[in-house]
Amino acid sequence: MIKNKNSLQLLKRRSFLLGGIKSIFTLVVFGKLYYLQILNKSKYGKLSDLNRIKVKILYPERGIIYDFFGKQIALNRPDYQLNIFKEKSELINSYISKLQDVINFSDEDFLQLRQNLQNKDISDFIIVKKNLNWNELQAFELISNKFPFLFINKEKVRSYKDDYVFSHVLGYVGYRNDIEDPKLKNLKFGISGLEQLFDKKLIGTDGWIKLETNSKGRIKKELQKKISIPGQNIKTNLIAAVQEYSYSLLKDMNASAVMINCKTGGVNCLVSTPSFDNNEFSNGVSNEKWKDLINNESKPLLNRCTAGLYSPGSTYKLITALFVLENLNFDPKTEFFCPGFVEFGNRKFHCWKKEGHGSVNLKEAIKKSCDCYFYNLARIIKIDPLSNFSKKFTLGKKTEIDIPNELIGIMPDSKWKINKKGERWQKGETLNTVIGQGFMLSTPLQITVMTAIIASGKKITPSILKSSIAFFEDIDVSLSNLEFIRKSMYAVVNEWDGTAYASRLPGKFKMVGKTGTSQVRKISKEERESGVLKNEEIAYKLRDHSIFTGFAPFDNPEFALTVVAEHMGSGSKVAAPVAKKIMKFTLDHIKRNT
Amino acid sequence: MTEIFIKIKNLNWFYFFTVSFLSFVGVVMIYSATSAMENNIFINHLTKVFLGLAVMTLVSLIEIDFWKKNAFYLYIFFLFLLIWASFYGHIGKGSRRWIEFLGFYIQPSEFMKIAIIMALAKFFDEKQIKDPRDYFFLVLPIFLILLPVGLILKQPDLGTAVIILLFCFFIFYIAGLSWKFFGLIISTMLMITPYIWSLLKNYQKQRILTLFNPENDPLGSGYHIIQSQIAIGSGGFFGKGWREGTQSHLDFLPEKHTDFIFSMLGEEFGFLGTFSVIGLIITITLVTYHISNKFDRDNFKRILGIGIITNFFLAAMINISMVIGILPVVGLPLPLVSYGGSSMLTYFIGFGLILSMDRSSKHNF
Repeated sequence: MIKNKNSLQLLKRRSFLLGGIKSIFTLVVFGKLYYLQILNKSKYGKLSDLNRIKVKILYPERGIIYDFFGKQIALNRPDYQLNIFKEKSELINSYISKLQDVINFSDEDFLQLRQNLQNKDISDFIIVKKNLNWNELQAFELISNKFPFLFINKEKVRSYKDDYVFSHVLGYVGYRNDIEDPKLKNLKFGISGLEQLFDKKLIGTDGWIKLETNSKGRIKKELQKKISIPGQNIKTNLIAAVQEYSYSLLKDMNASAVMINCKTGGVNCLVSTPSFDNNEFSNGVSNEKWKDLINNESKPLLNRCTAGLYSPGSTYKLITALFVLENLNFDPKTEFFCPGFVEFGNRKFHCWKKEGHGSVNLKEAIKKSCDCYFYNLARIIKIDPLSNFSKKFTLGKKTEIDIPNELIGIMPDSKWKINKKGERWQKGETLNTVIGQGFMLSTPLQITVMTAIIASGKKITPSILKSSIAFFEDIDVSLSNLEFIRKSMYAVVNEWDGTAYASRLPGKFKMVGKTGTSQVRKISKEERESGVLKNEEIAYKLRDHSIFTGFAPFDNPEFALTVVAEHMGSGSKVAAPVAKKIMKFTLDHIKRNT
Repeated sequence: MTEIFIKIKNLNWFYFFTVSFLSFVGVVMIYSATSAMENNIFINHLTKVFLGLAVMTLVSLIEIDFWKKNAFYLYIFFLFLLIWASFYGHIGKGSRRWIEFLGFYIQPSEFMKIAIIMALAKFFDEKQIKDPRDYFFLVLPIFLILLPVGLILKQPDLGTAVIILLFCFFIFYIAGLSWKFFGLIISTMLMITPYIWSLLKNYQKQRILTLFNPENDPLGSGYHIIQSQIAIGSGGFFGKGWREGTQSHLDFLPEKHTDFIFSMLGEEFGFLGTFSVIGLIITITLVTYHISNKFDRDNFKRILGIGIITNFFLAAMINISMVIGILPVVGLPLPLVSYGGSSMLTYFIGFGLILSMDRSSKHNF
């Protein structure tokens, strides 16, 4: 027991001092709490939101492209993508080495990943790998708990109905390096074909989503979002079945087939072979594959329909004949004698038939494709009016089709000659021009539009996009002359001595047309004398192109079709039989579907 | 029966309910912390709280002289348990400090705190300080402290060891030792600090270092402190609401039902919540002071009361200081609030002793 009064006071003082120390301690704690919760509330509030809220970009779904009958030809498929939290991107290397047994990472994946890592967009996630297959997906799901901050995300990406059939006309999608908006670096844009031309319509608008995540890298719930708006759908005039059938006929050649509706201008078929796989292109084609395609002599990337240039050959005789009838009041009953060649100046111009056609009138000259008859016409033709007249049929002019990179070819005239060659036009060159040889070059599309204009008598503009109204003006050519040309085309296919008689259509719907053989080499005098070599006897690259253009049905023209098969010889041998098959298939298909 | 009835009637019910209320805050917070978990931590905690309250009531009904008589035996008993735990006990959280008893895991170092306080109170009650310069008689109490502290450091359990040293320092102070003694102790401490530093485990050193600059290593040791400060700061004045704390429920806050429960309180109930809980702690401390100082002639009761409350107050304030980033993270629960077993029970026993003391003052005076 404490008795000492001094020590009692001492103890009281000490108790008091101890309480003082505790009070100071408490004040410090309160001070810090005031600093944290009152003064810096907004700072720490933001930090806590940064911890949990992660922003993800919602990419829009691309518009769907339909064929004439409403079949989807460019659609979207689900793509499963492996993502990682951006703040944990340092985990990527160790994760990939652990995941390599279950998920296959290609060099392209690594390249893409490196780019994604450098991307500075608003997204809090980085795509590690796209296009996970089913096995990878399942294998990952089983072990995903060992990989915090990794998760699978489902996106919709472009997919085409057939790997090769629509590649040139639809084009493909891919990343663009010139995109300013960093958040769109992972969005694919249309790179060629319809995808490129209608990209603005197809692409849609992106959105975003705020996700609540926990510290273990798991997404707990959606907080807020601005949904992405899918791109608009596009309806086309393409008939998928015809396109597929044409491709199957042509796939082993370097060829093209173009079909246009003579009434609407709608492009029903636009096939170019060899083709490329636009699904592969859209998923990201490897560098090696790309180099292979670029260096391939058959040029698979070239859309031969709109950018392949050929001498139209004898198919051009239709325009020459129409020109003399229309502009020179030529009497079609006029006969010329064909001995197999025509002498002009000091040069000999040969007919394709060495022994000659004998006496023929204009209709027979078209039917039998007599060159001499047209050489004789050339004597009265001036190149400039003929060239102008040809442009009404889009030769040497853009057809204004709605896919990019269309070539205009060459419709020569005197001005062109001076500009390009620095020389005056030679009369002998007119002789080559009237049979579609010489300087003249045109695309299969131009030849088809030419045929469609002859068939309809209207100024047709081809369009892949389906539009509700299609109104075309008449061309200023007399109906009787057009009718004469149509009847001559009828004779080519449906009379026994026509060049395409073997390719006639049975039944009541008749196909009419004109064959053409586009000469690739110049035949020398010596060869002429010793006998022109047959196609099989010369190198592939020097062989003639086989061309046929025509329309059907004869009484009510609906489909204009051109087939060009490179280095396959005469038009009657390859192009015309293929055209017959395509036309028959089309007519049957239309009958079945309407 | 009437004797027990009178005893119960004489209990300081204000004190009783203040303590109960603080433990009720713990129950509410632990419900929030564990509601998303599948295990039964909440039920477990609730059971322990009721058990603790029962033990507190029981201790309050035992006369305080009983403990005075048996203080040294109690000390020896718990020292034995502590030795057992330190050498043969269960390992958890990287240290060997638990004994399994009837399916519970008991931590003798917690009970040791009370035993040390009692032993020191008894010592200073019986041995009068005749000459403040006579240090020789202090050998025994220093030994009484350093033996268990050594064992606890061996486990290792830095938090408990630091707390014991701190409240013993204050008990020596309150017992009236001369200032020179404290000067000696402080200079000795300073001298042996490098040696103690070398004894610390790497993670312990790291914790102390990151205190001074947590942002330096945000994903390592500083991560916990930063996340805890974010949780508290983002709570603002009113808090995010019960069970609405994002830092805690999305697991950015570590150990949210044990050491960092105060951060969760700050996040969900804001400054209002933290202020109120500290207010409760201060109220309990002040009332205990008031009770203890009634016994200015009974050193045992006075030192016991102040020792117990200093242990409680220091543990609470050190826990809060470490989660708000003014002291290093040493692994110390918030008394009565954190999920706990032995430590919570120890505090209830302590408050039971104070209730008993208070009751004794009523029929004595």
